[in-house]
Amino acid sequence: MWQALKGSMLRQRWLSHKAAGSPMAGFYATPWIPRNTPVQDIEFVAVDLETTGLSPDQHEIVSIGWCVIRNMTIIYGERGHRLAKPEKDVTAESAVIHTLTDDVLADAPPLCDAIESFLPHLAGRVLIAHHCKIERDFLDRACRNCFGLPFEMPIVDTMGLEIRTLMRRNGHIDPGSLRLDALRNRYNLPRYKSHNAMLDAIAAGELFLAQAVHRAGGTGKLVLGDICV
Amino acid sequence: MDIELIEIRDFLVQHHPFDLLPDEAIERLLSHIESSYSRRDQVILEVGQPCEHLYIVRTGSVETRSPDDDQILARLSTGECFGVHAMLNPDKKVVNRATALEDSLFYMLPAELFENLRRTYKQFAYFFAPLGADRLRDAHAHGAGADSTDQIGLISSKAEDLVKRAPVVVESGASVRSAAQVMREANISSVIVCDNKRLAGILTERDLRNRVVADALPVDTPVDEIMTPNPITLDAQALAIDALMMMTQNNIRHLPITREDGQVVGVITNSSLVQQQSTSAVYMVGDIHKRDTFEGIAQVVQRIPQLLSTLVEGGASAHTVGHVISSIADAATTRLLKLGEDKFGPPPVPYLFCVSGSQARHEQTSVGDQDNCMVIDDAYDEVQHGEYFKQLANYVNDGLNACHYIYCPGDIMARTDEWRQPVSKWKEYFTKWIELPEPKALMLSSIFFDLRGVWGDMNLLEPLQEIITEKAPKNRLFIGHMVGNALTHTPPLGFFKNFVLIHDGEHNDTFDMKHSGVVPIVDIARIVALEGGIIAANTFDRLKAGEGKVLSSSGRRDLLDAYEFIATTRLQHQVKQILRGEAPDNFMKPEELSHFERNHLRDAFSVIKTIQGALANAHPTS
Repeated sequence: MWQALKGSMLRQRWLSHKAAGSPMAGFYATPWIPRNTPVQDIEFVAVDLETTGLSPDQHEIVSIGWCVIRNMTIIYGERGHRLAKPEKDVTAESAVIHTLTDDVLADAPPLCDAIESFLPHLAGRVLIAHHCKIERDFLDRACRNCFGLPFEMPIVDTMGLEIRTLMRRNGHIDPGSLRLDALRNRYNLPRYKSHNAMLDAIAAGELFLAQAVHRAGGTGKLVLGDICV
Repeated sequence: MDIELIEIRDFLVQHHPFDLLPDEAIERLLSHIESSYSRRDQVILEVGQPCEHLYIVRTGSVETRSPDDDQILARLSTGECFGVHAMLNPDKKVVNRATALEDSLFYMLPAELFENLRRTYKQFAYFFAPLGADRLRDAHAHGAGADSTDQIGLISSKAEDLVKRAPVVVESGASVRSAAQVMREANISSVIVCDNKRLAGILTERDLRNRVVADALPVDTPVDEIMTPNPITLDAQALAIDALMMMTQNNIRHLPITREDGQVVGVITNSSLVQQQSTSAVYMVGDIHKRDTFEGIAQVVQRIPQLLSTLVEGGASAHTVGHVISSIADAATTRLLKLGEDKFGPPPVPYLFCVSGSQARHEQTSVGDQDNCMVIDDAYDEVQHGEYFKQLANYVNDGLNACHYIYCPGDIMARTDEWRQPVSKWKEYFTKWIELPEPKALMLSSIFFDLRGVWGDMNLLEPLQEIITEKAPKNRLFIGHMVGNALTHTPPLGFFKNFVLIHDGEHNDTFDMKHSGVVPIVDIARIVALEGGIIAANTFDRLKAGEGKVLSSSGRRDLLDAYEFIATTRLQHQVKQILRGEAPDNFMKPEELSHFERNHLRDAFSVIKTIQGALANAHPTS
């Protein structure tokens, strides 16, 4: 039943009601973007999380990066980055991947504070992430832990979009070809040498622009429903 | 906490003109920059639409076309900007259609910030100011910087700038004694003698010593009897370097500078030149004239590579450098001729020693092959005078060879009997070359039609120049063949304006700045001169004089700028090699150039290509 209502006004109103008085009140008070809205009229926010691992049950968010897309243009000036202090030690293995070590994270605020200051940037917008399951599940776990509420909003998954395109062509999908870097290369986007939550959010945002432009084709018409998860 | 946009920042500072901006401007830029994406064949900017951003290609490529005739204006790749016209337009409307040629990502700079950056940073504004050939001019201005050092000061300054004081004048008819008193009071080494305010002559200390004291003439002798009447003068607007050359070539120490109306504005002395610069070309020219042996002259000539680097590093233009380096060769040549005349006696009949090739054009950039010949008065008699001129010619050619101006491999030298002939014979040669343009004749034409007298009776050259200016413009077949010759060297550009590189092992992945850059323009200028009946030998002078006759005004301007840019880039390449202790060559790797320089070199090469095309159209080969 929740599935059927997902994305509907009713669901958003109900969450808004449940969130009243909590730190997520503002986030849920803003209506979700209707699915028939043309993409040019939507404000997107590309997001990337760095986590200590892949499982929301065992691992933690250590940084959040985001950047706003308006009128199908990346607005680099409206970008942000938050670090969160993990409760467990950062393992050497994951530190290599995101280059954030205990030292850097020692002064960071607790995750709940980071999430609370991050949520206003999402309100009234559509979230973009590459392989959004990570972002959605980790943010959902964080919101439930911190505020006792789920994390729900309209989301576009750039990896999912690509899979749909490939399936339509009946092509074979090589999992390696779905990596952010590989996809960016396919769309003739620049290769970024460094990686952090901020830059990967931008990388996903730029990939989204490319995918949307290609998907719209000659007509140039594209609405949220065509691309939303 | 905000992490700076390292990737975008790194990209911008690697590309011109953003590399000119200071850190704080880049920071501001990063906080306002945006990006968008276009599919292949998608129109990015449509004519007449409002445009609120400057676009910078991040990946992919873009083409701009003019709205009127759909002509391709530019193909832009990574790091290049478009939408510039719209930005400079008061109403910010798109002027040229921009279409993506590939899937492309662009950075976009808001108009307001763009304007702000242009107002604040001059060099940044400079880059965008005018486009096309105009931008080439600015590119050069940016690269060359101001003529700042003393070295350059002399070269870019005018003759009148060297004048220290108003002329001190005595009237014609005054006594030698009164003239000497005037000189003592003013503490000067020469006076101007005027007859009714017109320049009549010049009287110098040397004249007083040699012609008055040594000959024990009475001190009341009128100045008119011992002065140098009708002295050589130079126009006030001429370049100071011309003053230097005139003085050294004629071995004079005082040069009256005159205005257009004939009024004397002052006198340049060799001390004013030396004061202006002590270590430089002037000094070297003076030094050469003090040397009495081949070795002595060779010692001075050896310093040319250092002189070249000083000039180029000081920002001298290729035009100036060519002038100065050639003037050293001129000095060595004249000095050898004087030494030869001392050795073998004065010439039995008048003659003119001429140089050809790059020295004649004032375009030498190094010590290279010698190209020269002798034009002798028609009073010449083979039996009586043959031996004298043969000895003199051999002496000078050997001397030049000893100074590393090596023997011409094609024997284009005065010591070759064929190229040491009286005027009448030279007239025959020139007439034949023009009227019967065979391959050999064309080769010789391209050498001897760049001809300049350096020592002797300059009048001997006139009849030959007359033949060229009269016959050449009328002879379509001759011009046609010269055009065909000129088109054998083409700029290294492929169809899409990419550089076409040499792949031959020794000079792999380079292009030849001389034969595919400088030579084609020199050849075009020669045709312009031949068609237009222009006497000048220098490529700049030929192109300047050619306006309106053969070249359109814009074609002339573009070609001059292309020439200056290519020649200067080549010189900079050679100076880098000299400073690394390598032998300078003409083979340049595209990586040696900044992105900016590569673009402008491409512009310059395409100017050549366009004009070569126009020439080929105007002279279809039969």
